[in-house]
Amino acid sequence: MEFPYYPLNDFGPAMKGMVIGGLGIFHVFLAQFAIGGGMLMCYFQWLSQTGREPAAREALDGYFKFLVLVSFVAGALTGVAMWFTTIQISPRTIGMMVEEFHWIWATEWTFFCLEVAAGYAYYRCGGGLADRARMTLLALYSLAAWFSLFWINGILSWQLTPGGWTPAGSVWAGFFNPSFWPSLFYRTFAAMSIAALVACVVVNAHPRLSLGERDALIHRAAHFLIPMALMPVLGLWYLYAIPPDSRAWALGGSAAMTLFTGVAAGASLFVGLYALIGLNLQRVTINGATATLLCGLAFVATGGGEFVREGVRKPYTVRGALFSNSIAPSEVAELRRVGSVTRDPYPLRHPQAYPNDQVRLGAKVFRFLCGVCHTMDGANGLVHLAGTWTLEQLRLNIAKLQLTKPFMPPFAGTADELEALVQLISWTRAGRPEDWPLSNEVPTIVQIDRWLQEAGIHPASQREGKR
Amino acid sequence: MSAPFPLGFPAPTAFYLSFYVLTLLIHVMFMSYVLAGTGYLVAVHFLPGGFAGSRHRAPLAEILRDWMPFALSGAITAGVAPLLFVQILYQRAFYTANILLFHRWMAILPVLIAGFYLLYLLKIRWVTEGPPARGGFIALAAWLCFGFTGYSWTENHLLSLQPAAWPVFFGADSLFFWTGALLPRLGLWAAGTIPVMALLLGWQFRLTYEGTPYVPPYEIRRLALVALAGLLLSALAGVGYGSFLSPAAREFVQGAAGEPYLGLALIGWLIQAAIWLTVWKRASLRPGLLGAASLGAFLSVLGMTVLREGVRITSLPAGRLYALHERASQVGGLPVFLFFLVLNAALVGWCIVLARKAKSSPGPGEDLRDLLDRR
Ligand code: HEC
Ligand code: HEM
Repeated sequence: MEFPYYPLNDFGPAMKGMVIGGLGIFHVFLAQFAIGGGMLMCYFQWLSQTGREPAAREALDGYFKFLVLVSFVAGALTGVAMWFTTIQISPRTIGMMVEEFHWIWATEWTFFCLEVAAGYAYYRCGGGLADRARMTLLALYSLAAWFSLFWINGILSWQLTPGGWTPAGSVWAGFFNPSFWPSLFYRTFAAMSIAALVACVVVNAHPRLSLGERDALIHRAAHFLIPMALMPVLGLWYLYAIPPDSRAWALGGSAAMTLFTGVAAGASLFVGLYALIGLNLQRVTINGATATLLCGLAFVATGGGEFVREGVRKPYTVRGALFSNSIAPSEVAELRRVGSVTRDPYPLRHPQAYPNDQVRLGAKVFRFLCGVCHTMDGANGLVHLAGTWTLEQLRLNIAKLQLTKPFMPPFAGTADELEALVQLISWTRAGRPEDWPLSNEVPTIVQIDRWLQEAGIHPASQREGKR
Repeated sequence: MSAPFPLGFPAPTAFYLSFYVLTLLIHVMFMSYVLAGTGYLVAVHFLPGGFAGSRHRAPLAEILRDWMPFALSGAITAGVAPLLFVQILYQRAFYTANILLFHRWMAILPVLIAGFYLLYLLKIRWVTEGPPARGGFIALAAWLCFGFTGYSWTENHLLSLQPAAWPVFFGADSLFFWTGALLPRLGLWAAGTIPVMALLLGWQFRLTYEGTPYVPPYEIRRLALVALAGLLLSALAGVGYGSFLSPAAREFVQGAAGEPYLGLALIGWLIQAAIWLTVWKRASLRPGLLGAASLGAFLSVLGMTVLREGVRITSLPAGRLYALHERASQVGGLPVFLFFLVLNAALVGWCIVLARKAKSSPGPGEDLRDLLDRR
């Protein structure tokens, strides 16, 4: 077996997950805006062509310009950016996904093409078309946008809940996985809500609509917020579908994850209550500032949700198949034997910055095994997390990494590598002095080895399952 | 390899290579329009007599400006499919080059977003009715954005082909990958996009002005000259790039697998050169001429794209790649893709049919016709 080493960049004080999470929020928000926006425009077109709301046509064309400027440009490019970022952070993960799902992605691409064609046809010519043709273009546009969600949703939900999928089995077993339906519905309703909130902003800002027209249109748009009432149920269905350990992180097991879950739920609840009670039941109206604020809250909810979705996969990027640090569970034993970085062809970037070869080795081990989730002294920094630990505690807790925190993968290196990592941590903790002694006591290594064996090579969720 | 590309490869490899080449061709079409088109816009704004302060003297520029955001959307969307196939074909090499270039590579995304909005800016009245230099500088900024993007793809491509250079490049923490082949290759691409853009623009021009009594001959001549200059430059860059090819690559180009395509590319080049000379002489863009030039351009671009691919795949370790393609070819989903490919292509066609029915809309053509009639 030859392990596929990739060069690993240092993201500075930022955690790699933060980078992808941050970008993901933008992209998901824009994409959901495009999806919900398509549906909303169909609704507005229908309102106008059936004479129910003649001003809807005017509002619709204003909304569409906005959608094209924002979503066609930034939405499409942040999508490519998601891909590129995933490559930066975990080429093996994206490689595995592409290998398994390339025809799904290729299918999604045909829908992108339709989305662009229908969207631009409407954009350029919609003004001069009869109602039927306008409706057709808008329907094709929103259908294409929604289907792009349908396809990508299967791939992303597979990462957390592969369900009955096996590498040799059917691709559809992975695609229609246990969290496919709850997350598809959830995202569809989220998309409708975002579109409705943006509509409130756009309608308010529309110069050619009278106050009465604005009011009427805003209450029409608010109908798209009604499905939000189902989102708590869908959220629970989703939580029920994901693995118990992931569910536990989101609901108290990890402070950060629980916080994000709370933020997402709280922001959604606020928007939902305002929408249901204020807009739909009491028929209060909403001005541009409030609408913008609600959009902001929806963005926060999307953000919280995306962080949780990215976060609860730990210690995997593909559940059961690939750990977050791009090591397959089946490779851990071999890497423990030969060493995790023994064959890594990529040198350290500033080798002279380290006091000796042992610490240099530690830096390579850190880069390979821990760098996806930790920095040394920035976000989720090891020096802060283990700042007060004794050397013994460091050794024990890292050797039993998956037991220290169940959302970490098992340590996949030798005892010597582990000791080198411990030396790196304590050298950094000591303020990076120029001289640093080597630590090469045989009993230490023997003890680490014993701890490694006690911890075993399986992740915590599987160990518990076995007991 | 004793059969023309892609027949000499194992079936799964040949299969993915074909999809890759076909989808890349679509990308090249749109991307050429964007890159060479913004270049054209820069030139007409700055060259004496090019823009001459009034937009109806430059109907070609007007069309370009009008369609440019759509073309960029097209280039991006069409880029997604080859982006998918390149990951199956050359997984590790492609990813490694991406990661090694890191910030440099990721920069193409904000740069493209900026370029996109600059294209919209080119269409607003403050620019179209302002002094030519205003539009010129905006077009230049956009052109730099797209040039940077093209440069990045070339740099990434060349870096992906040199596994031996990877660890050194990483250790040195370099931002740019420099190699002698970079400039001629980039020149080849930059020049090669010009005739493709001229052709697409020629068609648009033809369709826009169909049936109008007044067709400005100086615009047609200028278009022909631009195309001819592009052809000439691409020939020069092609010869330059050829001198950097490795022996293995040369073997491919001159062997049974590559030679037919080299021939196609040359024949296509000759056809295009002959047609654009005719266009220049007669100041006419008859559909027959445009059709022949289209055939020529297709042959040239197809030939060059295949050669580009052959050169790459013969320079990477074959065994591991073939195994990967074999594995990938066993996953399901292909019938679903083909079904939706056909269905969605038909629906795209329907969108175009619907859009063409919109007679009363103030489309760009109508707009221009009014202007010209008034003259
Ligand atoms: C899958 C991502 C991931 C990987 C890989 C990972 N960790 Fe962690 N680690 C975490 C998270 C998340 C925490 C919890 C942080 C918190 O509680 O705020 C954590 C916590 C820790 C802690 C503090 C534990 C405690 O009880 O407070 C230490 C020490 C640690 N990690 C060391 C390591 C080392 C060393 C490696 C590499 C061998 C590593 N981790 C690899 C995600 C990871
Ligand atoms: C206007 C913007 C763009 C320009 C000018 C451009 C230009 C180019 C050029 C010149 C190449 C050939 C590189 C070489 O062979 O040396 C290329 C290849 C490619 N482009 Fe684009 N491109 C643009 C945008 C995009 C985008 C946004 C994507 C992704 C969605 C994309 C996807 C690709 C792919 C996958 C290849 C093939 C790369 C390979 O095989 O190594 N392009 N592009």
